[in-house]
Amino acid sequence: MGLSCALILRRADLDVGITTNLPMEHVLKIASFTERSSAYGIWIGEDMNRRYDIFTLTSIVMLNAPSKMVGIGVTSPAIRNITTIARAAAALAQTAPGQFRLGIGVGGLQDLARIGTSVEKPVAMLRDASETLRHIWRGSTLNQGETFELKNYAPKYNRTERIPLHFGVRGPKLLGLASRIADGVILSGPLPYIERVISIIKGAVRDRGLVNFRITVWLPTLIAGKRTSKQFAKVVAATVIADTTAEVFNLAGISEHGIEKLQRTARKRGYQAAAKYVTENLLDSFTISGSARHVCDVFDSIRKLGADEVIFGPPYGHPILGAIDKVVKAWARV
Amino acid sequence: MTFGLGLNVHESVGDVARKSIVAEALGFDYVWISDSPSQLYGPIVGAVVAAKTSKIKIGLGVMSPFLHSPKQIGATLNTLVDAYGPRFELCIGPGDRMQLEHVGIHLIRGEKLTSKMAAARKEIASLLKKADCLEKIWLGAQGPMMLKIAKTFDGVLINFSKPEMIEWAIREVDVARNTEIGVYVTSYAYSTLNPNIRKLAKVPAAVVALGASDSVLKRFGLYSKLRNARKLAEVAPNLEKILNQVPGEVMDEFSISMRISQLPTYLTQLKRLGVSHVVFGYPQNSSLQTVKELGRTIRKLREI
Repeated sequence: MGLSCALILRRADLDVGITTNLPMEHVLKIASFTERSSAYGIWIGEDMNRRYDIFTLTSIVMLNAPSKMVGIGVTSPAIRNITTIARAAAALAQTAPGQFRLGIGVGGLQDLARIGTSVEKPVAMLRDASETLRHIWRGSTLNQGETFELKNYAPKYNRTERIPLHFGVRGPKLLGLASRIADGVILSGPLPYIERVISIIKGAVRDRGLVNFRITVWLPTLIAGKRTSKQFAKVVAATVIADTTAEVFNLAGISEHGIEKLQRTARKRGYQAAAKYVTENLLDSFTISGSARHVCDVFDSIRKLGADEVIFGPPYGHPILGAIDKVVKAWARV
Repeated sequence: MTFGLGLNVHESVGDVARKSIVAEALGFDYVWISDSPSQLYGPIVGAVVAAKTSKIKIGLGVMSPFLHSPKQIGATLNTLVDAYGPRFELCIGPGDRMQLEHVGIHLIRGEKLTSKMAAARKEIASLLKKADCLEKIWLGAQGPMMLKIAKTFDGVLINFSKPEMIEWAIREVDVARNTEIGVYVTSYAYSTLNPNIRKLAKVPAAVVALGASDSVLKRFGLYSKLRNARKLAEVAPNLEKILNQVPGEVMDEFSISMRISQLPTYLTQLKRLGVSHVVFGYPQNSSLQTVKELGRTIRKLREI
């Protein structure tokens, strides 16, 4: 009883989130700041084909925050050769042993469409990607798989330590797969949806008897108050809403008429234009914005649902380091 | 003449970083970090090397536009330059046909291949220019068709070791005014011969030989000698079995193995041919001792 209470009441770890589209000046400052702070780690999201290479950027973050856990959250096997993901992850695991986590996902629908790619069998792709990556890291020689064409492929670098694999997924089938074969899941989407899926995943993971499975929640977060910040938050919310499937809206119980229009506008004219269709209700569901205290209260409610990690930012608020500092300090008081 | 050390990305990130620190201390101008499907991801190793050193130039490549999209290659260089400054140069090339086959990439041939390479250079250069980090882009080449497009690059890194082959390749290059000529040499220069290290040269030499075009092999009388190995490579890509079919004399044609005292003569020959950048590749980098021996000699050769 005492032990289970301790598990339920323990605090979730606070991470800082960055993306490959963030200017290097900010990346370096955030990494160094996080290294000195009490934050648990850094997650790096891939904005496909925007500004920086996810793997190289992750190595730079690791070199500037050597004591922190650093994760890619997420990259997609749909846009890279699977062996490239494997050897990049292996190099990152060597850069700071025990500190790296790899997140994989199908990829944002809008992003994939923009680069002319689609994924027909997402469940098979992520299942095969996980198996293939783990085989490569063990140093096995691989032959043709269902999804990835490999012929007598054998890595020449050293066998790799076990790299935790996290899935960045949303739909029920992919979440089910994650709870069966991944080491963790990175969730994003409207808050009511997060609430529902955490309990589903918790149940599935408990059935498997897994104690180290990590549930991480990453929503756009912002220390805001001013009108300009709110407008910025709407653009960020539009980015997420544009990528959200009907399945997720159903799970979240959201049925707004403007969603279809927002997604169409995002596709044709970009997220800035789509932001005008973000209602107050959608904004509250898809982003966490307000004072540092408010953000941490929401984080705490997510923690109570069963999340192990919560990620702050982007878009953070202005100035970025000031906003991160406020949240780290407020979280320490929760 | 500038000198580079090819780093072996089969080794651990830590070992490669240690060798790069030594290379910088010994006055090498460049370290080159390769990127092939069976090795660690080169750009990450490049980031670690940049963090551990302060001024040595870091060459990245050969990176293949068939393995990474030009956008990904451009983004990679942009990442490194933004984080560590303008210390990076890029070498692109199609990549080793056999290695790419292992990972499901079927390399095209002929003019389609050269057109794709030229288009990749253009796209990468444009991306780098837009990001304000336009660095030198080299072409990794050895066959006549690829050599013909070298003039559109800032430099060409020829993957031959013997002066007569290099001379032929340079004749094939329709050199533009600013195209620098470099060579990437499978090299073992030693003060005391270590037969085990000499043996290591066989693998990269054989890989270069097997990847050479028919016309190159015919020109140097090696085509028939490699017939069995190349046939085997098509059906059973087991490197050890294939290597057994590559005659020693062919491997010797694609590598140098010489006393360190003979190096000045070799380099003088290359300089006369117009070579201005020499990269010493595996197995020269296989131990700190071989790196140091070469580095000390290069210090003395600065007047070349």
